[in-house]
Amino acid sequence: MNSLLAKTSVVLTGFTLVLGTVVLSAAEIDPLEVRPTLVQPAVSLPTNLVTVPVVNPGEFFMPPNFDDIPDDKTGDMVRLGRNIFTNTQEYGARYVGNGLNCVSCHLSEGRQPYAGPLWAAVGMFPISRNKNRRVVTYEERIQDCFKYSLDGIAPTVDSPEMIALVTYSKWLATGVPIGVSMPGRGFATIKKTHDPDSIDGEIVYRNKCAMCHGDNGEGQKHADGSYMFPPLWGLDSFNRAAGMNKVKTAATFIKANMPLGSGYTLSDDEALDVAVYMWIHFRPDDPRQSFLMNRFGAKPGGGG
Amino acid sequence: MNMINGRSGHRLMLALTALTSLLIAGCDLPASKAIDQAAFDAGEQLAINGREGVIACTACHGANGEGNWDTGFPRLAGLHPTYLVKQLNDFAGDPLDIGVDLEPIARDYVKTPRIYKDLTIYSPGIRTDAMMNDIGAALTAEEKNNLAVYYSNLAFETSPIPADFQSLERGLDLAQRGKPEYMMPRCDACHAAKGQGFGALFPPLAGQPPQYIISQINKWQSGERNNDNLSMMKNVATQLTAGDKINIAKYYANQSYRVNME
Repeated sequence: MNSLLAKTSVVLTGFTLVLGTVVLSAAEIDPLEVRPTLVQPAVSLPTNLVTVPVVNPGEFFMPPNFDDIPDDKTGDMVRLGRNIFTNTQEYGARYVGNGLNCVSCHLSEGRQPYAGPLWAAVGMFPISRNKNRRVVTYEERIQDCFKYSLDGIAPTVDSPEMIALVTYSKWLATGVPIGVSMPGRGFATIKKTHDPDSIDGEIVYRNKCAMCHGDNGEGQKHADGSYMFPPLWGLDSFNRAAGMNKVKTAATFIKANMPLGSGYTLSDDEALDVAVYMWIHFRPDDPRQSFLMNRFGAKPGGGG
Repeated sequence: MNMINGRSGHRLMLALTALTSLLIAGCDLPASKAIDQAAFDAGEQLAINGREGVIACTACHGANGEGNWDTGFPRLAGLHPTYLVKQLNDFAGDPLDIGVDLEPIARDYVKTPRIYKDLTIYSPGIRTDAMMNDIGAALTAEEKNNLAVYYSNLAFETSPIPADFQSLERGLDLAQRGKPEYMMPRCDACHAAKGQGFGALFPPLAGQPPQYIISQINKWQSGERNNDNLSMMKNVATQLTAGDKINIAKYYANQSYRVNME
């Protein structure tokens, strides 16, 4: 029995050593290495002023100004909702479970087109969602955000925080027709040409993303511990049930908005590659599933 | 814990707090970070006196690195040393000489505005300035490092400049929300709330002369300065109108800022 164990362990160790060397060489990436799948034909123009008619600002709805929040009780709720939205760590501390704020993804306080703007979402709810397999209200949608993207617990639909967030969303959407899908809603639309490759994604990440989001996706913190640039994976980031954990969804967000301020500069393939690179890393468990399913089951969001 | 309630409890807490603060004040706490004293002294020497071929930094940037708020020469005191070294290196690069007269982007709102975005991924990394290009080329790497150590350890406190509330509101709107309809991010996203700056890559905007902020954005727009990583500032600057520049400069000049002060 002992000799059998010894033999098995030797074989296994040898096997692991062989495998280990193979994996090690593949993991060493020169961040400036160019792989054939990563080379995209680029436009070459004589001046450095390139007209890219990607967005036409006249087409997007513009929410009311911050200074135009009314001075009544509704306005107070709007202000509270805005505070919770921009500084969830402080104003939503009862519910948030990681290091993110709502504005980490819903850019410009929920106003930015193609960054999940609130003004485009409010009028579409209640709506049938595949994730919930039923028709959900706007409050329930926000609850899902707290449970998954903020890795926390959901406020009840009658809590002051929830009412404040809904009031803020409604105020942002002042003038938006109900039930109409507005331009700027959601994220970008992308076409997939080949299965996304996480090694290409690592190259894109190291060249474009690591500067702000950290070499290991840990983000960067202020001196007081709050995050300046949000973590993309790890314990302080969104969990496995979040929408950003779906490769397709993350790619559409990245394509439209990242690097920050330079939306629509990545190609569709680069966005998909870097999204899958983000997807393969560890993040907190899916709260909908059991511990064992999180360990041994299929990780959600891998389609596409 | 029942000792703490009530008036006697409050007196006890007051006494304990006073005692603790006396004890702490009595201790001479060491400096939070160790300064390379040799580099600091060498940098101070070079900044105040200059040398053959390099004018003294204090001539334009002020006796204590506070800059010149009349002419718009930037403050250097308290900036991140890595940032200072990078800027000096970028000054040393070959200035842009392409033979084409680049004008700042003209925003004509009569027609539908278009978004100009630079498709270059890696910036050439030059920074054009009539004075600083020669100085940057003349300095050695060690001198740049010494100057960076010197200036990053200087103390500075700005006196906020008052401005009318309309400009401040517009500036705050740009800083906190950017221009979402133009996909322009908020300034605070990288330069931190109230323009305090973040790390080596994102310098503080508060505590800089307003004319400096405006002139740099002009340079981003014209391409004279393109040493930003990933063209982030280029893409931001192309979305700013002349009014935006004035508003944002007034807003940041109105913020308080202090660095390295005990």
